[in-house]
Amino acid sequence: MPKVIIDGKEFIAKENETVLNVAERNGIYIPRYCYHPALSIAGNCRMCLVEIEKMPKLQIACATTVTDGMVIHTQTEKVKKARQDVLEFLLLNHPLDCPICDQVGECYLQDYYMEYGLKKSRIDLKDKNRKPKRRDIGKHLILDNERCILCTRCVRFCEEVTKTSELFINSRGDHSFIDIKTEEKLDNDYSLNIADICPVGAFTSKDFRFKERVYRLSSTSSICLSCATGCKIKVQHNNGKIYRILPDPNIYTNTWICDNGRMSYKITAGPDRLTKSIIKSEEHHLNKAIIKLFDILKEAKEKNLKIAILLSDYLSIEDNFALYYLGFEILKTDLIYASKEKEQKIEDGILINKDKTPNSNAVSQISKLYGIKKYEDLKDCDLLIGFYDDIEKLNIPKNKSVALSYKADKEYDNLIAIKTYFETEGSFINWQYFLRKTAPSVSAPTDTISVYDLCLKISELFGYYPKEKELNKIFNELKYKTED
Amino acid sequence: MNILLNDNFDLKTYITNGGYNALKKSFTLKPEEIIEEVKKSGLRGRGGAGFPTGLKWSFIPKTKTQKYIVCNSDESEPGTFKDREIIHKNPHSIIEGMIIAGYAIGASKGYFYIRGEFAREARIMEKSIYEAKEAGYLGKNILKSGFDFDIVVVRGAGAYICGEETALLESIEGKQGKPRIKPPFPAVKGLYGCPTVINNVETLASVPYIVIYGGENYSKIGVEKSSGTKLFSVSGPVKKPGVYEIPLGLSFKTFFYDWLGGMKEGEELKAVIPGGSSVPVITAEEAMNTKLDYESLQKIGTMLGSGGMIIIPKSQCMVELLYVLARFYHHESCGQCTPCREGSGWIEKTLNKILNYKAKKQDLDLIVDISNNMMGRTICPLADALAMPVISFVQKFREEFESHIEGNCKICGK
Ligand SMILES: Cc1cc2nc3c(=O)[nH]c(=O)nc-3n(C[C@H](O)[C@H](O)[C@H](O)COP(=O)(O)O)c2cc1C
Ligand code: SF4
Ligand code: SF4
Ligand code: SF4
Ligand code: FES
Repeated sequence: MPKVIIDGKEFIAKENETVLNVAERNGIYIPRYCYHPALSIAGNCRMCLVEIEKMPKLQIACATTVTDGMVIHTQTEKVKKARQDVLEFLLLNHPLDCPICDQVGECYLQDYYMEYGLKKSRIDLKDKNRKPKRRDIGKHLILDNERCILCTRCVRFCEEVTKTSELFINSRGDHSFIDIKTEEKLDNDYSLNIADICPVGAFTSKDFRFKERVYRLSSTSSICLSCATGCKIKVQHNNGKIYRILPDPNIYTNTWICDNGRMSYKITAGPDRLTKSIIKSEEHHLNKAIIKLFDILKEAKEKNLKIAILLSDYLSIEDNFALYYLGFEILKTDLIYASKEKEQKIEDGILINKDKTPNSNAVSQISKLYGIKKYEDLKDCDLLIGFYDDIEKLNIPKNKSVALSYKADKEYDNLIAIKTYFETEGSFINWQYFLRKTAPSVSAPTDTISVYDLCLKISELFGYYPKEKELNKIFNELKYKTED
Repeated sequence: MNILLNDNFDLKTYITNGGYNALKKSFTLKPEEIIEEVKKSGLRGRGGAGFPTGLKWSFIPKTKTQKYIVCNSDESEPGTFKDREIIHKNPHSIIEGMIIAGYAIGASKGYFYIRGEFAREARIMEKSIYEAKEAGYLGKNILKSGFDFDIVVVRGAGAYICGEETALLESIEGKQGKPRIKPPFPAVKGLYGCPTVINNVETLASVPYIVIYGGENYSKIGVEKSSGTKLFSVSGPVKKPGVYEIPLGLSFKTFFYDWLGGMKEGEELKAVIPGGSSVPVITAEEAMNTKLDYESLQKIGTMLGSGGMIIIPKSQCMVELLYVLARFYHHESCGQCTPCREGSGWIEKTLNKILNYKAKKQDLDLIVDISNNMMGRTICPLADALAMPVISFVQKFREEFESHIEGNCKICGK
């Protein structure tokens, strides 16, 4: 293991580790633009120049591998001057867009300027190079070539991660600009990661543009539920509104997230969000709706009607078990169904799973443990309670259903307005068997309820008061991993 | 050394003059012995950097993997036109040098990368390679030695940067000509990721002579660390501009008066760019007191470079000349590295203002400052190749630049 000295302190480096990585691991930050931990090294921005003893020229920390006994300086006047000069070059032809640029607050140019720059521009405004602006480059992205610092992170992302290679640098010298190779658009399934990794405001997200300043956003760590991969995410919100989802890079599951998962927050505030429950085609406040639902169930039970309950791969472990409890213990029905096991695999070699549900690994275990039937066996029933998306896929008359839903749908007589997992906690087991929880980042509309609470309330109305322990015992019976 | 021997361009004459004897001799030697001879000869790369050729070859790992020899014939630097002359007059010496180099490092394939504009020269090389192949000097089992070697001619597309060795490799691989970060050096990871030696045309054309006469004899030509002969392509208003092969260490004065015939009538020597447009300019006085070899030129702050000598007369405005150079380097910057991409354009813009009497006083220091901020901080030396001339021009001919700020240049009369 090579020993190195950085700014006077000795550190043990790993074999073939770069100066930048050794420094970073030990809390010494070296400024960078083109370096990205998940992409190949380009070494083009020259922001990470450091002084290494016995080398006449400054060296780039991102591409220089350490050798035993190397003495590195990251804070000398020479290094500081080099950073200042590189910044001056980068800002030379940069437009003065900050007041209207979305990157403000997370812009490497602004940040480093405050730290290393603070120099007056030495070029006349009229002498600056002009480049194309506001280019509609794909479904989710706008490109401003003038703001681009040509770090090639976006190009490398499309080459190395999605392997779709849509982007390249057109022309040469200071006329260089990021361009798209084909007549097509930049529409790969991960395109919005480019807006994240672009260190400046060149690539921006159409969805997020001009909506909110990033420094006003709060972040909540959660997980994406759009497929069985269950990527870790950061949900960013302000004043009870979600503005965007970012990946929460981790060594276990994901560095990136797909565009589909990123847009999944739209269910919270879309025009078709179900904010009040509907019972017998009439809208009700929450408490009233619960009582009306109780009445329906009571009547059905008294009449010995066939009540079926659907467990759901879309719902959390807690919610599924509460549904099971409601069916088995309270309604005393044995018509409890779940989907059959799903094939899980990363279908695109990146992140997107063939299984588009977030919790089938938990539900299939519950099914086995409690002898639950498969959807296919559901031939006939008089009343069905289940999650909207599952009911949609089954061939059950809608007037016989009580759908737990985020979404309004006029075709249903009974819809219970439930909270999304952006608004409530829930546990899920992803395809790798990691158990992870969602965390509420915004509050739900007042008349919505979580499935768990709904089941609890109904039970209580039936005169049962299940202990939390009873509902939580399922966790002891499930197989899962946790991150260490 | 007869690099420029007349009429040596067809195979028959080449052979009559002893051509391909070096190759025959090589096959009686072990590859290491050839590398040793080249080391002994003191031959240094003629492409500009002057790196010892034998040492470069010895960096190639002794494994059995695919390796390549690449001959750099991109020759696009302003003022440099010596490789073209070798192609015209002695193409087989290059081919023979490439085969020997291939044998020495264990490469079975060579690429001849030639500047896009050299259409005629590419045809000459293709024809000569064909001739050599027909005669059994290329192909399988050359001269029953068991050694296979082939050469492919690849034409560039008009970018000066593709002369930089790693940009050249990218170009052969079909990618944009952008220099790679080093390390890894081509000797370890070159063309298609395989160990590769890249040498200049003139370097490789010198190899057959070294093999025939021995490294030691070669090293006797020239002076100590600058052994052998070197081609100089001379442009500017001298009586006899052209390409000359001189022993290294010759004094500039002798070269200038005895070989070039001095300045044309009515012209007076002001300055010299001794080694191609990328090297610092020297004044007439400095030139008259120097010798033409790597060390002497380095001592006075310039370089031998490629040997593209530009003779500058008093009647030439230095601002105008530097502007032309800046425009060239700005145009040819590949644009990868921040300092070169932004700095080259900035220098050109500022020089344009200076040239046209629109600059402010501080713009003079500005271009020097920009140059200093570019130097030594980029992936390849192209940034330095602009920065060094700018700094030396302003330093040595400051009054001419000042006259352009004050608005009274008597030379260009603009
Ligand atoms: C911008 C630039 C252009 C270059 N152009 C050439 C060229 O046209 N021909 C050449 O032989 N070397 C050129 N070189 C030098 C090569 O990178 C390399 O050093 C050389 O081909 C090695 O061969 P040698 O060791 O035989 O000199 C250039 C270097 C730079 C930085
Ligand atoms: S668009 Fe952004 S990521 Fe791409 S090269 Fe420019 S600055 Fe870098
Ligand atoms: S890959 Fe799956 S879990 Fe990851 S962000 Fe996309 S939809 Fe969400
Ligand atoms: S120094 Fe200039 S030409 Fe060389 S790699 Fe950098 S930008 Fe390209
Ligand atoms: S971060 Fe090292 S050169 Fe860009």
